This record gives sequence, C-alpha cells and structure tokens, in this order.
Amino acid sequence: MEKIQKTAKEIIETYDGSPIRIMEVCGTHTHEIFRLGIRKILPENVELISGPGCPVCVTPVGFIDEAVMLALEHGAVICTFGDLIRVPGTKKSLADARAEGAKIQVVYTPLDAVDYAAENPDKQVVFLAVGFETTTPSVCLAAKKAQEAGLENFSLLTANKTMPNAYQALKGSADAFLYPGHVNAITGEEECRKLAERDGVSGVIAGFTAKELLTALAVTIEKSKTGIPFFVNCYPRVVRPEGNTAAQKIIEEVMEPCDSEWRGLGVIPGSGLQLREGYGAYDARKKFRLPKVEGRSNPACRCGEVLQGKCRPSDCKVFGKGCTPQHPIGACMVSNEGACSAYYQYSSEV
Amino acid sequence: MCVGLAAKVVGIKNGMAVVDASGAKREVSAELLEDLEPGDYVMVHAGIAIAKITEDDTEETDDLMGLL
Repeated sequence: MEKIQKTAKEIIETYDGSPIRIMEVCGTHTHEIFRLGIRKILPENVELISGPGCPVCVTPVGFIDEAVMLALEHGAVICTFGDLIRVPGTKKSLADARAEGAKIQVVYTPLDAVDYAAENPDKQVVFLAVGFETTTPSVCLAAKKAQEAGLENFSLLTANKTMPNAYQALKGSADAFLYPGHVNAITGEEECRKLAERDGVSGVIAGFTAKELLTALAVTIEKSKTGIPFFVNCYPRVVRPEGNTAAQKIIEEVMEPCDSEWRGLGVIPGSGLQLREGYGAYDARKKFRLPKVEGRSNPACRCGEVLQGKCRPSDCKVFGKGCTPQHPIGACMVSNEGACSAYYQYSSEV
Repeated sequence: MCVGLAAKVVGIKNGMAVVDASGAKREVSAELLEDLEPGDYVMVHAGIAIAKITEDDTEETDDLMGLL
C-alpha cells in the first residue's frame, strides 16, 4: 500500500515536463484535494483548477427567487438539501424567507420530502431538485413514489443538470479533466471515452480517497506526456463501464432533456432535465403558475468566472472580506462543495 | 459534486437496505441495484444506494499503477 502511494506521489512530485492544467470538475474533489494536502506536493508546472461541479454553485439566482416566491407567496413548505438555504437570491435567500415565517425543511433525500407530504396532506410541499446525474435518480424515484401514492400536495422545482454538454462548453479550459466519479457511477464510461476519441478531450474518472486521487493525478500526468488524448477509469471499484442502468432507466422514464442555465456558463443547450408530460402534475412551475424569473447576482461576485476556471477565488475582490462562509455573497462560498469555500477553509495552504 | 458514503449492507427489506457506515446505521433505498445482499458494500448518495463497490481501494490503485 505504502509503495503504491509513494510511487504515485513520486510521479507527481518529480514531473518536470510541459505545464499541465487539470480541472477537478467535482466540488467534492476540490475539497478532498485541499483537505488531504495534495496541492502541497504539486510541482509548479501542474496546476489544478476548480470546475463547475457543485450543483448549488451552478444553480442560477433565478431558481432561488422562484423558491422564495413559492415559500412566501404560495405558502408552500420548501424541502431542500441544506446547502441551498443560505444562497443569496436577487433580494432574499431561503434563510431570509424563513426569518419572515416561511417553512423551510432540510431533508437528506427527496424521498423524505415525499414522506413529509404524505404526513401533512394539508400542506403543499415542494422539493428543490438541484443536482447532477448522481442525484437525479433519487428525484425521479420521489416523483414515481408520489404518483404511486396519488399525492396531490407534492411537487418538484427542477434545476437538474447533466454533464456531457458542460464538458463541451468547458473544452479548452484545461488540458485534462478529473471526471466526477459518482456521476460516472450512474452514467458509466462511454461519454468520457467518446470525449477523448471523438473530441480530443482528455480526462480520467477519479475516486475520492487519498490513494485514488493521487493515482488519478499520476495517471493524468503520465498519459499527458504522450500528447495523445486519453481516457482512463481510475475508479473502477465504483464505476462500471455501463454505469447504473436501473438509474439511467428511471431518469429516462421520468425526465427529458431541456436547455438549462448555469451560473457563470449561461444557458447550455440540452444540459438540463425537466419532468416529462406524464409527471407534469408534479412540476411546481406549472402547478403554481410561476412567472418567468430572471435573477440578478451581486455584481461584485466572480463565482461565474471561478466556475469556469478563469480566476481563482482569491482573485475576487470580495473573497474573504465581504464574502465569507458566515456572510456569503456568492454560491461558491455557501456550499460545502464550493471552490470559494474550499479556498477560504484551507487558505493558508493556497 | 456528489458526496458519497461507502457503507456495508446489513439487512434488506421491501426495496430498502439497512446500511452500516462506520458504525452509523441508516435505511436507504436499494431499488436501483439488483441482487443486493447483506455483506455487500455500496456507495450511498442522497438516500439511495447507487453502486455496488469493493470495500478497499488498494487493489484498484495497484492495478492502475501497474499499467503505467
């Protein structure tokens, strides 16, 4: 075990070739790489940049505004993952709405929101469905369970996103991607393999332990030396070539592709998921006839550039000053997976 | 992006699995994995077991480094 880690570490530490920019797409990778001290062993010619893989961070301001509207104007109980509560909307966050009397319920899984709706038939319950391919199956299971139970007081405000078109949009931002292992646990290897073979985009699927991350970086460095686009699944104990086919099937059954707005990246065609017509009764936008909302973020915030790897969090004027985890201005400082939060937490190591 | 929790399956009932993650037990949906049995290890995300896994990362990383 020791030998393997050292070998991967040696490959990384002793690399003296052309500069390599590696984008860790996944916010959990960003945090684990910081937490494990991996940045400390990188030579100068290996640069890690953070990508858009934090679902809370890429969710546009208008989505928060819609959720606040549902909570305050329609009296809906909002069930959500905890990270979304403090993300600033145009005027208010969900935390502000809660202070004004809105009922905001933090849940561990969308299935808990369905149970909550079943137990509270007199309340309208809306689950805030953000997340990538990893999270979407749980949302689809929730929609199916609500339909099977005939619940009329449950709905979903969707902002689910898919990664393939985002990789296309980010092409050129980095020399190689560390692909998000738990997205690939659902989707499998095929799309990433195609990115290398069809589009010349290199990357490896990475796990989350110290050994897995060091190995993924060592493989990336070694493969980069060849100059040939590459793809390697460095997380095979979790990611099967075909992915989770049952999860793919339930997504296909319940949702369909749509254009989607990403904070910082704008609207990426075909990069979102919305409920199919057969599940339209569970679409909160239709149910509550929400108007089209265009949110406005704080102009001082550079989350959008951070999410594209165009600047580091510490390049932002408000980072660590006006914007801290206690008083966040941008989403990347709120979420536990956000790049600004990681840089702030481990700033002495940057 | 998607924090996962590696856990051991200790029981299965009605499409749900009771999993043990470092001593903490909780019930998660087992509907998206076929043929789960007590003793299997799974990756859990948002209350759903999303992948059957091997417990340890040693063999995986040994194999990958062996390819370089």
